[in-house]
Amino acid sequence: MKKILALSLFASAILMAESEIDAIKAELQAQKETTQKLEEKLDALSRQQESTSVNRSASFSQNAYLPDIAFILNMSAVGRDVANGDYENFAIPGFIDASGATMPFNKERGFNLNYAEVALHSVVDPYFEAVVYFHLQPNEFEIGEAYVQTTSLPYYLRVKAGKFKSSFGRINSKHHHSWYFDAQPIIYKALFGPDGISDPGVQLQWIAPTDAYLMFGAEALQGTNARSFGDNESNNLYVGYVKSSLDVTDELSILGGISYAHGKNTTTNATDVYGLDLTLRQELGSYSFLLWQSEYLHREKELATRSDTQAGLYSELIYQYDKNYAAGFRYDAITKNEADLTSYNGVDTSGLDKYSVMVEYKPFPMSRLRFSYSYDRTKVINDERRNINEVMLSLNIAAGAHSAHDY
Amino acid sequence: MKKILLTLLLTSVLFASLKVDTTYATLGAVAKKIGGDAIEVTVLASPQYDPHFITPKPSLIAKLRRADLLIINGGGLEIGWLPPLLRNANNPKIRNGAKGFLDISHAIAMIEVPTSVSRAYGDVHAQGNPHYFTDPYNILLIAKAIEQKLIELDPKKEQFYSKNFEQFEKEWQAYLKSFDAKMTVCTTKKVIEYHELYDYFLKRYSIKSYGNIEPLPGIAPSSKHTVALINTIKENGIKKILQDVYHEQKTAKFIAAKTGVKVVVIPHDVGAVEESDTLEKFYDTIAKRICH
Repeated sequence: MKKILALSLFASAILMAESEIDAIKAELQAQKETTQKLEEKLDALSRQQESTSVNRSASFSQNAYLPDIAFILNMSAVGRDVANGDYENFAIPGFIDASGATMPFNKERGFNLNYAEVALHSVVDPYFEAVVYFHLQPNEFEIGEAYVQTTSLPYYLRVKAGKFKSSFGRINSKHHHSWYFDAQPIIYKALFGPDGISDPGVQLQWIAPTDAYLMFGAEALQGTNARSFGDNESNNLYVGYVKSSLDVTDELSILGGISYAHGKNTTTNATDVYGLDLTLRQELGSYSFLLWQSEYLHREKELATRSDTQAGLYSELIYQYDKNYAAGFRYDAITKNEADLTSYNGVDTSGLDKYSVMVEYKPFPMSRLRFSYSYDRTKVINDERRNINEVMLSLNIAAGAHSAHDY
Repeated sequence: MKKILLTLLLTSVLFASLKVDTTYATLGAVAKKIGGDAIEVTVLASPQYDPHFITPKPSLIAKLRRADLLIINGGGLEIGWLPPLLRNANNPKIRNGAKGFLDISHAIAMIEVPTSVSRAYGDVHAQGNPHYFTDPYNILLIAKAIEQKLIELDPKKEQFYSKNFEQFEKEWQAYLKSFDAKMTVCTTKKVIEYHELYDYFLKRYSIKSYGNIEPLPGIAPSSKHTVALINTIKENGIKKILQDVYHEQKTAKFIAAKTGVKVVVIPHDVGAVEESDTLEKFYDTIAKRICH
């Protein structure tokens, strides 16, 4: 009897406790609902208040329409085993004659302020956007690029007009600060000089409706670049290219391109440049990848009495280890040099190539410190083949509203 | 013959599905619920990667080229990778400001909107914390915004989209009810995060974050900051570090070894970890890993 009584008491106690928990839960739920309702009411009220609030903006303020403004600073400390006076007069046999080179960047042993670039980007209206790069060097103001491009053309077309970097090849359209090495690839420097193909003109691009990326482009340019073109009687340069990319796996992507440029050189004869580029990129995580980028350029330049056939390539391998560190290796070579080399009699002009390595550290995506070493075997100085060792520490800053880079 | 051609043409028009690109998988999962068979969803970014730093592969340009509608997270999350892709896709239908461009952040009450913005504070988003997927209540807001947009683009199928939305709303309300009930018994109330990825979830369920492994948003951990975190964990009796799938795990494991805190990998997007490939499983996994 006692046992049963104790047991039933125990059971009822458990039941009581359980129903109590349920009651508390229900109460809690009710309170939650009340709070939610109150919160909603409050939200609605505050929204109402916002909508009825008076206009407090300055009468003719246009602040909301300011363009995105970014500035890019690039500077370096250079060590080189050639005196500045000698280095200025270098030649690349068959391409650049002694003291004919323009060297806007990293010229001096010691410290260099290469440039301060101001980049402006703004949507103009529902049909155009405008981009301007003011390229400021210590003694020079240059409009690096200034163009408008369409945003709403039908048939997946886009037109760009103004002064811009041609999309010929792979590295040509990219800005110096987004390259993986501070020095321009030798073949680009030899064929086009430090600015690459960059001219006033118009560009038309079309994207095909395919699963893989397939883009066709054509450009008509002024052709002011005297290294390969430069006939200044009229606009003389036409560029065309096809680029395609596909993802081999989720992590591995390939981009390839074929480019062609046809223009008239300073002797008013034809210059043709053919370009092939190939980029492979293997993702190794959110902040890590392996990238292999190569380009081959071939030029046929007709002159008054002869015709030059020249070619060269560069190939670079970049390993981005994490958010902060990357390292890379580049090989540059002139592979064909059928040109007038009589002024280099007695100088060995074969085997023109260059090796470069770099390590970079980015404390944050907007700043970058890069240490590089190069062994350059492409130069002739004071009528002697002069192989140059160079070390460089460069600092690049991209501040402000800087837009994202392409692939 | 003419008739056959005409019917073929008509059917192809009638049954042409709307091509919808979403930047992230969670948006894709919601879009599928509302659009059903009437839309074809392509997700641009893999949930395995940091949503701020998606490689702008040209294959994504090809995808954007063919889209009728682009749905983005907004709040600055895509600023580092999407704008050049969009520019290069030459697709006026989905350009910023066009009818086929939908920024979901405009439908969300963003939290942690900074009063002052400077990169001296790291990679701060001026519009507030953009990682709003982790709050299951936001799913209905996302669904509503997508429903409205689909009706605007494809008014002939209004009834279909509305019905799907109502059906989904009902299911999701029921899911939220059972989910909230589960969360009321969650005993974890104090955590550390790697990045401020889960703040919307933590706020919803009154879980307090005592700090991040990153000293500032987007800045890699430093030893000084890590030591300070170890002290915070010890002083406050914190039991869990919420790690994401894409950051390094060394720092979290180091802290765990010093303090006995448990490191749990929490998905930030649908499909980021195993057992998170549907909306329900996504939140179930978050709850399970935080609470147990």
